[in-house]
Amino acid sequence: MALNLKVNGRSEWVEMDPSRPLLEVLREGLGLLGARRGCETSYCGACSVLLDGQVVHACTVLAGMADGREVTTIEGISSGEALHPVQSAFIQAGAIQCGYCTPGMVLAAISLLQHEPNPTEEQIRQWIRGNLCRCTGYQKVVAAIAEAAAALGRGGGNHA
Amino acid sequence: MPELTVVGRPVVRKDLFRKATGSGQYTVDLELPRQLHGKVLRSPFAHARILHLDPGPALKLPGVLAVVTGIDFPVGYWGSHIKDQPPMARGVARYIGEPVAAVAAVDEEVAEEACQRIQVEYEPLPAVYTIEEALAAEAPLLHPDLLRYERNPQVCRPQANSNVLNHTRIRRGEVEAALRRAVLVEEGEYRTQAQEHVSLEPSACLARWERDGHLTVWSSTQCPFIVREDVARSLGVLTHRVRVIVPDVGGGFGGKVHVRLEPIAALLSQRAGRPVKMVHTRYEEFIASTVRHPSWIRLRAGLDAEGRLSGWQAEIYFDTGAYSDSGEMVSWQTALGGAGPYRVGDVAIDTYAVYTNKVPAGAFRGMGWPQVMWAVESHLDRLARRAGIDPVELRLKNALRDGDETVTGERLEGVGLVECLQTAAEAIGWGKPRPAGHGRAVVSVMKSSAPNSTASAVVKVNEDGAVQVVTGAAEIGTGSHSALAQICAEALGVSYEAVEVTAPDTAYAPFDRGAVSDRTTFHLGDAVYQAALMARRQLLEVAAARLEAAVEDLELEDGILSVRGVPERRLSFREAARLSYVRHGGPILGQGRHLEEEIVPLHPETGQSPRACSHYKFGAQAVEVAVDPETGMVQVEQVVSGHDCGQAVNPLQVEGQIQGAVAQGLGYALMEEMRFEAGQVTNPTLMDYPVPTAPDVPPIRAIAVEVPHPHSPFGVKGVGEPGIIGVAPAIGNAVHDALGICLSELPLTPERILRALEQAGDSRPGSRTEIPAPWDPE
Ligand code: FES
Ligand code: FES
Repeated sequence: MALNLKVNGRSEWVEMDPSRPLLEVLREGLGLLGARRGCETSYCGACSVLLDGQVVHACTVLAGMADGREVTTIEGISSGEALHPVQSAFIQAGAIQCGYCTPGMVLAAISLLQHEPNPTEEQIRQWIRGNLCRCTGYQKVVAAIAEAAAALGRGGGNHA
Repeated sequence: MPELTVVGRPVVRKDLFRKATGSGQYTVDLELPRQLHGKVLRSPFAHARILHLDPGPALKLPGVLAVVTGIDFPVGYWGSHIKDQPPMARGVARYIGEPVAAVAAVDEEVAEEACQRIQVEYEPLPAVYTIEEALAAEAPLLHPDLLRYERNPQVCRPQANSNVLNHTRIRRGEVEAALRRAVLVEEGEYRTQAQEHVSLEPSACLARWERDGHLTVWSSTQCPFIVREDVARSLGVLTHRVRVIVPDVGGGFGGKVHVRLEPIAALLSQRAGRPVKMVHTRYEEFIASTVRHPSWIRLRAGLDAEGRLSGWQAEIYFDTGAYSDSGEMVSWQTALGGAGPYRVGDVAIDTYAVYTNKVPAGAFRGMGWPQVMWAVESHLDRLARRAGIDPVELRLKNALRDGDETVTGERLEGVGLVECLQTAAEAIGWGKPRPAGHGRAVVSVMKSSAPNSTASAVVKVNEDGAVQVVTGAAEIGTGSHSALAQICAEALGVSYEAVEVTAPDTAYAPFDRGAVSDRTTFHLGDAVYQAALMARRQLLEVAAARLEAAVEDLELEDGILSVRGVPERRLSFREAARLSYVRHGGPILGQGRHLEEEIVPLHPETGQSPRACSHYKFGAQAVEVAVDPETGMVQVEQVVSGHDCGQAVNPLQVEGQIQGAVAQGLGYALMEEMRFEAGQVTNPTLMDYPVPTAPDVPPIRAIAVEVPHPHSPFGVKGVGEPGIIGVAPAIGNAVHDALGICLSELPLTPERILRALEQAGDSRPGSRTEIPAPWDPE
């Protein structure tokens, strides 16, 4: 059966069972590998994507449920050499080590900044609690998100 | 030393752009035409003879292309310093989760279903699940052939007719007499739990067996050359037939040193005639990949009238599970740490690695030191309390300093311990008033490096002047590639931007032991440094011929080669590189090696050696906690982690390594514990085995105390491991500071804290742990 998804602003048709996880449709069906598989049980957040702007764990969302809704993956937030301010902040702050959690973490941060452009450190930590990072100890991730918020506040980006 | 221009700068890692944009490529992302998926059937028994195995029904399932079992492999075993592990159970299964058969099929679901159809008849055997059970006189032996396994006798000394695969001994002076003379002797017993690495990318590989017998393996590994050796041994082929390529790796922490799935995927690929990909599920990561060794540690320490440690005895047991993996190395390394970073007078240390019927324990950040330092540093606070000495003062009084000897008799230089302790104590507000319910602690940190760790590297300068460093180093997230690029750039006299470190491929890279025990920056860094110096020499020779000057009169700086004092006689780096091709018939090609000639194996009886390993690292860990006596919850308010990292190559990465390690240490100290019931992991999910999330981790102040190493390029040392080592004892001691309770077992869960409070209520603080078994020093 064919599914019609709107992914990163483009309409995509995929020949897949709507009861398969969205993560599988993105990775195996569309070749969008930025959303990563870490647990498949909604505990690690490596598979985070945005569904109508909300962070969801793509491993536990059925593809059919995304039908007709806006899916944003890491591949959809910037293009070419230009980066989203959150991505630049992650790079500058050294908030990335192995990078496996990074796409999910960046998307979670983007959705936070859409809800709360000036988050406190506590708000940042709470917001990303569904995204595990085993490498960084979170400190530089939190600092990067705060820095991105400041940059966006200064008008340092046109994505928010 | 001339001023450093690249080393020491917080350069931006080159792999971060692809990682930030989701275009990093990990083994799990790879796909080849006609690729199959492999799945493993695992033993449901902790110890059982495999009487009969019938793959027939699995092969009949449509979509199944190959099934392999233990007897399909040639008899080949792998391991670190003792080769005791087959790629798949052969005749006997020794832990729940051990592979007994595997299937390659068109997709994972078919492969999974086919596995369930394989019929296996087992005869359960008596099993041992704990260190005590394994050591009992009548205990069943896991490896009756233990003494026949190939091993490195300098590091691995098994005991005949036992489950002890290694015993390392250290003896200096007369410990019994010293303890008799001591004015105060404190005894204690400590235990630690199994911890899972939880790399976010699980173990994964893709194997393609060519019809001409060549095999390519893409693997999510820290150690491509170890994987090559393990695969070659498992399949009985020469290493040149096996090519291992490592894409981006989603975390390692010691969990991706040896093979897990690689030999199985390779044999399946040979049988099916198609590439085979295998990826662990998170559940398999828990039940069938290595863990941190559980331990049982008994200490006896004496103080003299001046508060000096005068005698120290340690008996340390590691539960290594069904196979050694790196158990002999963990027990060997921690013998060096059995008395922590202190001058202890007369000493006796015994470390043992013991087989049990559980998932194998292996390398994990710190290589056994977090376990041993939990005991040592908890013990030091007990001593300080008994003696009425300030714990920081007791440490400073006994801390190893330059010129002191370790327990193995090695004279140390470049020891930054005292500075680290002072810095951490000051930063945490040691001695200042603290709120009610809060406690503070400062502990020492020490870590050895791996012995006899050779490394080699090639630096080549392409025809356009671009520099490539070719090594076997996998970038597992630690920033090692950018550190190596910085070292190369500094030595060569070019910019960081001009240097690229290639991804490891055993077909082209020279041998390296891998990203373990903090060795990449130090050992491989030295090899890269030597290679860069050779390349520099060659460039200077090319330029000397062209500029008609002597090599000694030339200088190379900022990518320009010129005659000293005559700046107009110059050649750009790029021109020199091109000239090398045109005039000298080939590229600039520097080769470098790191060899540890001075390392001497420990004396088998006394453990003495003038140089046991390449270097030691020192640090200090300080915390402030708030403990709720009603709930037993520990809230870590502040963390200060000061480590002597030598010359920091990249301060940003040093901080990141320390912070990440501390967070893993917080998990180890407070929440992470793999629980077992008759050898079965009972909490094999991230729901039942929580790891720290962002709100669980307080801000961590990482302080780099830079005491340059006298023998490494630019004085660098590794700093990936030490951050995890002192966290648990610091928290344990801080909890005592807050509530007056003594804790001896990790993790420090609310239940344990409440139980300790209850006991303290019964028998009042200061109560000493009773040692049940008789103490037998010899
Ligand atoms: S893979 Fe979806 S939360 Fe872990
Ligand atoms: S960077 Fe490795 S898990 Fe976050």
